[in-house]
Amino acid sequence: MATQSLIPAGDFRASYAADTTIFPTAGSRYAVLAGIALLACAPLVLDRYWLSLLIQIGYFAVAALGLNILVGFTGQISIGHAAFFGFGAFASAWLSNTFSVPVFFAIPLAGVLTTAVGLVFGLPAARLKGLYLAIATLAAQYILQDFFARANWFTGGVAGTPAEAFSILGFAFDTDQRYFYVVLAYLVLTFVLATNLMRSRDGRALVAVRDHYLSAEMMGINLTRYRTLSFGLSAFFAGVGGGLYAHYLQFVSVEGFGILLSIQFLGMIIIGGLGSIMGTLMGTAFMVLVPEAMGWLTDAVKGSAVDRALALKDNLSFLREMAIGLVIVLFLIFEPDGLAHRWRQIKAYWKLYPFSH
Amino acid sequence: MLRPVSLVPALALALALPARAADVPIGHLADQSGATSDVGVPYAQGVADALAWINRKGGVGGQKLAVESVDYGYQVPRAVAQYKKWTSGRDKVAAIQGWGTADTEALSAFVAKDEVPYISGSYAAQVSDPTGASGKAKAAPYNFFYGPTYSDALRAMLLWAAEDWKAKGKPGKPKYVHMGGNHPYPNSPKEAGEAMARDLGFEVLPAIVFALAPGDYTAQCLTAKNAGANYAYLGNTGGSNISLLKSCKAAGADIQFMGNVWGMDENAAKAAGEAADGVVFPVRTAAVTGGSAPGLKTIAEISKESDPNGTVYRPVHYLSGVCAALYMVEAIGWAKDNGGIAGPNVRKGFYQKKNWVPAGMEGVCVPSTWSENDHRGMMTVSIYRARVSGPTEGAIADLMKAGTVKLEPVKTVELPRKPDWFGW
Repeated sequence: MATQSLIPAGDFRASYAADTTIFPTAGSRYAVLAGIALLACAPLVLDRYWLSLLIQIGYFAVAALGLNILVGFTGQISIGHAAFFGFGAFASAWLSNTFSVPVFFAIPLAGVLTTAVGLVFGLPAARLKGLYLAIATLAAQYILQDFFARANWFTGGVAGTPAEAFSILGFAFDTDQRYFYVVLAYLVLTFVLATNLMRSRDGRALVAVRDHYLSAEMMGINLTRYRTLSFGLSAFFAGVGGGLYAHYLQFVSVEGFGILLSIQFLGMIIIGGLGSIMGTLMGTAFMVLVPEAMGWLTDAVKGSAVDRALALKDNLSFLREMAIGLVIVLFLIFEPDGLAHRWRQIKAYWKLYPFSH
Repeated sequence: MLRPVSLVPALALALALPARAADVPIGHLADQSGATSDVGVPYAQGVADALAWINRKGGVGGQKLAVESVDYGYQVPRAVAQYKKWTSGRDKVAAIQGWGTADTEALSAFVAKDEVPYISGSYAAQVSDPTGASGKAKAAPYNFFYGPTYSDALRAMLLWAAEDWKAKGKPGKPKYVHMGGNHPYPNSPKEAGEAMARDLGFEVLPAIVFALAPGDYTAQCLTAKNAGANYAYLGNTGGSNISLLKSCKAAGADIQFMGNVWGMDENAAKAAGEAADGVVFPVRTAAVTGGSAPGLKTIAEISKESDPNGTVYRPVHYLSGVCAALYMVEAIGWAKDNGGIAGPNVRKGFYQKKNWVPAGMEGVCVPSTWSENDHRGMMTVSIYRARVSGPTEGAIADLMKAGTVKLEPVKTVELPRKPDWFGW
């Protein structure tokens, strides 16, 4: 019966449904469900520090997923993703503060508002490509950041704005233990959404635009429409991620959404794997955990024989920052296709073992 | 319970735990790499040295302080995230030494909810109202700071400026302009300063924005010069003020600059050279390095924590950092003897004495009073003037000794504790 959960040798797929299934075997489906169930137990066993890291991975992954749809699946470039993330955060806080919209609805609504903004900034994408588009998105970053600093009615200006805690029927999700479930729910929802999107007609059109825009156009794909749509979609996920972020920290400040965060988002999807849904999550986890791991390492080295021998002292913390950069550079050199690619190789290794060639 | 911490630090922790079990966890948020790091570094060093010194002397009533210093790069989201770590259930901090205005205001509601005393490096009047009774600010029952509020310091300087204008016998109304970054910290005393300036008969010019980080501010200087400003408040910290002062010197603007407590110090005067000559600013301590106050001996001892040779010059911010840390330590000490070291008790510790100075800091820390209804620790504002009389190459300690760079006291203003100045 073991063959039930393994892909049989040879290609036996006889329908489109079998060809586009998310889980090729029952085993992989159970593994994902077990993974989610395991994660759902996390608040029971992990302390607040670890939960805060997981929550961070969660909201960043939702936003990074949007960027991966844009960059990885459609082949557009954006270096203004943090601004959309920020817009979502402010929009969600604004909706719940000003119009007393429950946070439960404010987060998806913020996603919708951000989509509108994304579509506007996506319009140049219909005509621009490559570096030109990159600079156009850079403009979006600056315009929105300036807007955040000036629009007192919307963002509280430079002083920032408080954001209410997420609650359902008066039950507040204001601790890390509780908020973790909110983020987990959104993470699962958005990842399923994105996976299904990529299996749909529109999703395949996006990939076609990326692979060869001329061929795509000849096949009847409306390039303008799909390029703009891709920006809108990307902004939607960024907005939802931003909303989750706002109601987690319960305070939104313009400072959090600089160009550096935009670059970090790019780092997440490049390290995770362009055009890979699973890779987005891996890359985000990598980008969130590497600085922490470097922190543990420097803490362990502090005051040790190595520290004394090299007289590092205060430079240790700078060493940490440099090491993060080094790890990323090494990663790009030795694993340019991202973590998702490595994961596929690991799977292939076991599948082919012991005949790897 | 299972805590999947990475193995090495976990082992190290496990080995260290028995000895550290009774430690009092203290959070220390510092800006060592962000926009205000020029003054953040010496202040944080003062805080860290003072707490290390307390530990070396045996801690607070035999309990050591487990201080975690974190550089948050002057970014509110990082500060909020760090705060969340510190207040996790397992080892909640007993108190926090904080820093910037934006993050202090952002955390104000959190610290009130979690009952964590928060001693910040921000003197924004908005967080000096513990009950919200002023109607001008939200209640901030757990926020403390050592120094006059930014608004009160500016009010005192404006009082001095009005006298100065009269003493110089100049005709007409003097013109006042507020200058600084578009950020909660420089903005904090803007309204109070402009209102006070109008009351004192100044003509108030539209505020001029220049960034918190160093840069070329010639355009801003020319704006101020063309508008005919006579007195200008510099809301930023040393680094960006240096750039502005230099640009203004080059542009030939004849303006009396008034820095805020973070706006000028010995290092900034050295870096700005002659451009800093004549700038007035408030100093939070009753003495500066090189004076003869008895507390300076304690400072010299504390300074050895990070400088065993005793050669490093300690600027005004270092001294203020020491005071802020030691006030907190005494409040924790009181809490320990009166029901245990918990947030609400430490807060009460601040209210136990009137016009008090931490032990050993006589003549350095200005006697301060906090009460349950008023967290304006002091109403005394000592105004100093930076004097630079020659080239400023060389070590700051030598320049101070030779008198090339000097901080000379101008006036000490004792402000009334006016209710309508409260909270803004």
